[in-house]
Amino acid sequence: MMLTLLQDNLDYLLWGNLAQGQPGGLLLTVGISLAAGVLATLGGLAGGIALTMGSPRLKRSLTVLVQVLRAIPVLMLIFWCYFLLPILFGIDIPGVLTVIAALALINAAYLSQSVQAGIAAIGKGQWMAGAALGMTRWQTLRHIILPPALRHMLPSFINQWITLLKDSSLAYVVGVAEFTFVATQINNREQVYPLQVFGIVAIAYLLLCSGLEWSGRRLAGNSR
Amino acid sequence: MKTPSLLLALTLLGTAGHALADRLDDIKKAGVLRVAAFDSNPPFGFLDAKTHQISGLDVEVAQAIASKLKVKLELVPTNPANRIPLLVAGKADLVAANFTVTEERKKQVDFSLPYFASGQQFIARKGSLSKPEQLAGLRVGVDKGTTQEIYLREKYSKTTVVAYDDTPLAFTALRNGNVQAISQDGSKLAALLANAPDKAKYELAPFTLTREYQAIGLPKGEARLTKVVNETLLELEKSGQAHKIYDRWFGPGTKAPLPRDFKIGDAV
Amino acid sequence: MTPPSWLGQGWLAPHYLGWLLHGAAMTAALALCVSLAATLLGILLCAAQDSPLRALYWPAHLFCSLHRNTPLLVQVLLWYFGAGGLLPDVTMQWLNTPHQWALPLGFSLDWPSFEWLAAWLALSLYSASFISAELAAGLNTVARGQKLAARALGMSEWQIFRFIVLPQALRVIRQPLLGQYTAVIKNTSLTMVIGVAELSYTSRQVESETLLAFQAFAVATLLYLLLVIGTQLAGSRQANGAPDA
Repeated sequence: MMLTLLQDNLDYLLWGNLAQGQPGGLLLTVGISLAAGVLATLGGLAGGIALTMGSPRLKRSLTVLVQVLRAIPVLMLIFWCYFLLPILFGIDIPGVLTVIAALALINAAYLSQSVQAGIAAIGKGQWMAGAALGMTRWQTLRHIILPPALRHMLPSFINQWITLLKDSSLAYVVGVAEFTFVATQINNREQVYPLQVFGIVAIAYLLLCSGLEWSGRRLAGNSR
Repeated sequence: MKTPSLLLALTLLGTAGHALADRLDDIKKAGVLRVAAFDSNPPFGFLDAKTHQISGLDVEVAQAIASKLKVKLELVPTNPANRIPLLVAGKADLVAANFTVTEERKKQVDFSLPYFASGQQFIARKGSLSKPEQLAGLRVGVDKGTTQEIYLREKYSKTTVVAYDDTPLAFTALRNGNVQAISQDGSKLAALLANAPDKAKYELAPFTLTREYQAIGLPKGEARLTKVVNETLLELEKSGQAHKIYDRWFGPGTKAPLPRDFKIGDAV
Repeated sequence: MTPPSWLGQGWLAPHYLGWLLHGAAMTAALALCVSLAATLLGILLCAAQDSPLRALYWPAHLFCSLHRNTPLLVQVLLWYFGAGGLLPDVTMQWLNTPHQWALPLGFSLDWPSFEWLAAWLALSLYSASFISAELAAGLNTVARGQKLAARALGMSEWQIFRFIVLPQALRVIRQPLLGQYTAVIKNTSLTMVIGVAELSYTSRQVESETLLAFQAFAVATLLYLLLVIGTQLAGSRQANGAPDA
């Protein structure tokens, strides 16, 4: 049963209606995750550095923003970005982009805290050493603090990317045709095989996330 | 109180963008009509097994409107609960998704002339549900954000209403025994049952609770767009095309035949 | 000035606020039950993965990576909609029938709905795999030298665990554990897809009934903020105490 189910729907599960210019399925899941992952990483780095180097006022407002973002379920944030931003500002952003924005925003908030903690974990002595060498605070950050700090942070970055990949499934609630959504469409049509359909979906995510975890570990191992 | 002033500021930003635009011009300029349609509710809107495209009765009506406007049709998949938000947020120009006309909804969106009529019915295990009084004490599955959900909650307070994202998911809950019946439009349920591999175990309960009319949903205040949609619908009826579309999905040769007892223009 | 179109017909009627509060209570109750079960299971999983016995290590390890590396949404859908294919009909029937237990003093305990059970199970298994990882990380922070020193002082293994390892580990894992409990609160929102009447579900219910999307989501978001930040504050105030569930 599982085989025919997979055979009949494999192309749709993998890339949606790509031939008609509407990528979907696993391809869209990977696309959303990659885009949001890059944005979240950049945002997290910028946020973490700002939380370290910024003026007290900037730090305070950033901290509040990060805390609020961390306290809202991703589902709610997606609702906000998808349905309410267009109403509030009269701009229409395609569904895929709003999901990318929501995921990037929330993961950047998490990452900026990891980056801040990673920088803080590098001892005060290193900053003083930089100062003794006549470096400015920014030069010290760039050349002395960040390289080891980033190495230490790598595991938490990898964890966050995995979280993001999994959370991209929430695009389901707003009808963006990523993997989980496409799978529920098929489940709704086939009607009597929910266990098989969602089983296949779980296995696919498992392979993706485990692959990411494994290559992340290797990367972390090599950079030591 | 800080919030109201913030809201006010956001509103000014928001309304400024909307006031001048006319959706009909926008659609013609873009060359694309974006219509929210069901993707899991045959025969109104569903994913075709072979083409992987959304098709169905609602889609054919939407296609007729797009053809009339001489623009390309783009379908936005929706479940029941997302229909109004999609329209209000401007993610779709029209909703063609078995959309029931209600007074409450008229406050948020506009409706075209109805092009379909049906009533609220139930699917249950064979012989388990024959009259409305039996609903008391049952757990009934519905779709989030439908008139059926609201009607049951208001009129049948002894019934436990459990809302799912879509009718086939509610049917799965019925199969698992999590609910004892599911409720939706009769026409939708008949088609769902006809497509179910295990249809022998279930039946459409022999009573109808309400008479409902389904129409195209439009953004508020788009008079020109509404006019074009209504004209298209009336033309469909006059040319006999509406009957043909109906027969294609509910005619004698289909899986769930249902006599046509409503013509476009019968109700406003 | 006319009211803004997207604000619709003003503010939410009081009984809709009641629905949302009810949803928030459901969220809190579900999160509490999940946190309790997940902590217990997490301790077991952590102990099993710490064990030199392969027969204990591998199943626990597999369980954790299986649950950590699949989306919670898919797990929730699988447990709820797939249960009919997993469990025999008799079991499904029993699970779906209301049972009632009489408690002393005239109280009675109602059998929860199947939605609730599936949600609780899915969330507990998922969260336990994360909690076990936090626990393992906490135990590892206690330096090996300290255990050796304690042993040299003649302490038993239990005494070493109770007086040397546990107090230090608890201090280290308090914050991460608290993070997991707040994650549980947020994750309960996903159970709306299987019809659990928690906060996100009720917010959409209010939205579909009143069509006041902005108000419904705003109140729900505020309630989530209160629940999560309240838990964080309560957790960090508990100086040196055991982490609360």
